[in-house]
Amino acid sequence: MLLGIDVGGTHTDAVIIDRKGVAATAKVETDHSNLISSLDGVLEKILNSGPDRAISKINLSTTLTTNAIIENELEEVGVLAVSGPGLAEDYFNRDLGEHFHLLEGSIDHRGTQRLALDEAAAKNAVAHCQNRKLKVFAVVSKFSPRNPEIEQTLADLVSSQSDFTTIGHRISGRLNFPRRLATAYYNAAVWRHFNTFADAITQSLKKHNLNAPLNILKADGGTINFKSSRNNPIQTILSGPAASVMGIIALSSITEDAIILDIGGTTTDIAIFANGAPLLEKEGISFGGRPTSVRAIDTHSIGIGGDSVITINPDGKVLVGPLRIGPPMAHSGPQPTLIDACNVKGLCNLGDIDKSFSGLKKLAEQNQLTIEKLADETLNVALKAIQLEATKLLDSINQRPVYTVEEVMHGEKIIPQRLYVMGGPAAILAPLLGQTFDLETEVPENYAVANAIGAALTRTTMEIELFADTGKKTMFIPNLNIKRKVSSSYSLNEAQNDGVGEMVKYLKENNHPEIEHEDVSVVEAESFNMVDDYSVGSKTIRVSCQIRPGLEKDYLEGVK
Amino acid sequence: MKNIRNLGVIFFPAYDWAISPTHPEREERLLYTQDQLREEGVFDLPNITEYKPEIATYADIERIHFCFPGPREVSTESHLVAAGGAIKAARLVMEKEVDRAFALVRPPGHHAMKVVHGNRGFCNINNEAVLIEFIREHYGNKRVAIVDTDCHHGDGTQDIYWHDPNILFISLHQDGRTLYPGTGFSEELGGPTARGRTINIPLPPNTSDEGFLYVIDNLIQPIIDDFKPDVIINSAGQDNHYGDPITNMNFSAQGYARLNEKLNPDIAVLEGGYSIQGALPYVNLGIVLAMAGLDYSQVREPDYNPESLRQSPQITEYIEKLCALTMKNYLKPPPLNVKPNQYDTRSKSVYYDTDGINDQQLEQIMVCTSCSGVRHLTSKTHRNSSCMGIEIPIDACKRCRDEGYRLLDEGRRNFKGTTIKFINRLEQEYQTVNEFELTPMGRYYF
Ligand SMILES: [Zn+2]
Ligand SMILES: [Zn+2]
Repeated sequence: MLLGIDVGGTHTDAVIIDRKGVAATAKVETDHSNLISSLDGVLEKILNSGPDRAISKINLSTTLTTNAIIENELEEVGVLAVSGPGLAEDYFNRDLGEHFHLLEGSIDHRGTQRLALDEAAAKNAVAHCQNRKLKVFAVVSKFSPRNPEIEQTLADLVSSQSDFTTIGHRISGRLNFPRRLATAYYNAAVWRHFNTFADAITQSLKKHNLNAPLNILKADGGTINFKSSRNNPIQTILSGPAASVMGIIALSSITEDAIILDIGGTTTDIAIFANGAPLLEKEGISFGGRPTSVRAIDTHSIGIGGDSVITINPDGKVLVGPLRIGPPMAHSGPQPTLIDACNVKGLCNLGDIDKSFSGLKKLAEQNQLTIEKLADETLNVALKAIQLEATKLLDSINQRPVYTVEEVMHGEKIIPQRLYVMGGPAAILAPLLGQTFDLETEVPENYAVANAIGAALTRTTMEIELFADTGKKTMFIPNLNIKRKVSSSYSLNEAQNDGVGEMVKYLKENNHPEIEHEDVSVVEAESFNMVDDYSVGSKTIRVSCQIRPGLEKDYLEGVK
Repeated sequence: MKNIRNLGVIFFPAYDWAISPTHPEREERLLYTQDQLREEGVFDLPNITEYKPEIATYADIERIHFCFPGPREVSTESHLVAAGGAIKAARLVMEKEVDRAFALVRPPGHHAMKVVHGNRGFCNINNEAVLIEFIREHYGNKRVAIVDTDCHHGDGTQDIYWHDPNILFISLHQDGRTLYPGTGFSEELGGPTARGRTINIPLPPNTSDEGFLYVIDNLIQPIIDDFKPDVIINSAGQDNHYGDPITNMNFSAQGYARLNEKLNPDIAVLEGGYSIQGALPYVNLGIVLAMAGLDYSQVREPDYNPESLRQSPQITEYIEKLCALTMKNYLKPPPLNVKPNQYDTRSKSVYYDTDGINDQQLEQIMVCTSCSGVRHLTSKTHRNSSCMGIEIPIDACKRCRDEGYRLLDEGRRNFKGTTIKFINRLEQEYQTVNEFELTPMGRYYF
């Protein structure tokens, strides 16, 4: 049986799922000052709700890391960075704390060290950090996914005084120095906080006699095993929306290209699915305006929801949102909202309908409109705005740059076949949204613990990059820190096998015996002939492997 | 603080296209540039956005080229995407979605001439010309200045705009006596209706940053100020770099960035540049930052040593004299011995190095006193035997317009070749006559 726990903003939910479906649920209020008590509380409740159950896996989604960053509970980090030539420091040294040290040294795009690390300056920087009693570090060099040597040297230099060091290339094998730097910084800054929490989780699980492997949810719609999360706490940020999207997949049967709308009180969240799977952001999540290399499901938010206020601007244009001032007038709110307009149009019958009518009537008369016209225009504006935002998101995905003639001329586009609408006002607005989008529309059953179900059923995800240079006879997988000599005839095929093989091996050794080769997709595989003075006929090979977001198939049927 | 601008970068490396596996124009060419731009996080900067290229249509190409036997035969899908990248750059800037755009695309185009039979100098379709005609088609008859900073003379672009007084073409390049294509001398100043609108600055081998920037400050900038273009385009070849394997100049990434900062082009289009590991990543990064108005002071090649690249005093002196002479030629070009309102004839022999085609051309231009003049040429190769091209220019007077149709009519009756291409830029009418049977290409309305 699977246990899923979602520590959300207001509630902490838990579900137990067996092969027949949901076996138990529990809900407690989240205590932000003491998340462990919320976890304890919900475990207490669900485990005592029935017979003893054999839990085989626990998945936990938590806002802990997210809150730590938002509330600035960040430990001071000693940041040692090596940029070499390129963008000036101002562009990458932003909000990285007060102990940022930019050191001389450079590695080029091929991973060749062009200028040795200035070790004297590095030692000075380390001494400075020691004076400040810094205990966590981030060491990042440009092009470390091609050559980790400088980062390794820096990690060695700080090792004697560091409780924990984040090394750039272990964060991500993708090229993007500023993102790697920011991500490494945050990872080090939340490390202690997360691990204190992790210790408490361990205690809590022990107390409840839970020995099953524990995984933590990530923003990309997958999980990371608990042990790995202790060194990669940043991977656990913003997992809430992912749990919700995975819940949607669990409770409906999305198999096609689709648009998903989650309509709340103040906002509507939009996600796009391709062949039934959620699309990830191209690079990584932006957090507090800072781009990171943490992958996430691509969602857009627009400030229109059921409680969005209706206003009329000086030109006589009807506006809906982005403000929410209170509940709809039907529920004794101060100003007419989208839901009030739905009441007037007879689309629903919520609360005190008379209040909806009088509220809209007043606003209409002030602006020389009929109440009918105002209600129509309100719905029209809201629906069109949601459609426009969804179209923009879709266009941005379909207009993502591609780099071969074949892809430009004949690349596949995402063409949504169906619209899924969820959230409070979903049933009210779905038929109209269907007309506006001109798509078949489905409203999955609203389920109070959907996020926890999503959490319970989510499988692990992972991404690795492999980079080989047959001129230098090297193969490197940065995230796994695997560096090997290869022969000069090393091929793209061998590289793909190595990428998939090493990933499966790593996961099997880390709590995921279920992962097999066929779970891994090779999402990118390129080999280029290099022609230069010293390596005629050699190749640069780049392979990218991924386990895509997915759900536990064995348990899925029961839930639906 | 610098003058920050929104920049659109159309990055299209054509990873599945090469002239041949070891040719300088091969799949790998922009790979390390992409690595560098990605690692720097350039596209995360708030004022730099990456865009996907459009796909150029045959109509976009036939607006400017005489393709024989037709555009389908002389281009591939890769050329449509590269030209489409240039079109995207034009659209972004003209629609004011961005302030500046850089089409970092391949294959290149600046050796592609008015007549196209195949590939010459790694080029089939002239991306800049497609871009300019796209602008003139959709946004009015703009005055455009093209500054070609490729190390090779931009002979294709020069040929296309030789007779067009509204397009200023300036090429600075390694002296044609020492490098392909062997043209681009000071006395090449444009045809009789566009005298002084073609400017060539043949620089001696080993010219360094100092020399290039001197030319920009003391010659190109004053000429552009005088010409007052609506749009400035940089034909941004990167083979003037000191590391380039097929040329002999000493320009650097810092120099290219400074040049773009000074020139401040609305649109840049990549041309050549074959030091793909040692130069392109840094030069392209420098150009991107300079166009976006960002700090490029830390952009330099790992092996950059300005001392060792310094140009000799002789070169400095030579360039100063060359600039003075060229300025004189721009302001008061030596007159041609032509008669007004009659045809002036030039004959040309064009060699297509990649495809091994020899083209014998005879070109006539009406020395019109009220427009650019109707253009009429014949082109003979072993491949397409005899072909004819007739062009009524965008600013044609009534006489030249009628003369264009008369030539078409006469050609249809008497021409003993295989194909006639007819371009009427004034009224946007384009025709192909094959084997003397009229197959109208139709009109292209937008
Ligand atoms: Zn060139
Ligand atoms: Zn005329």
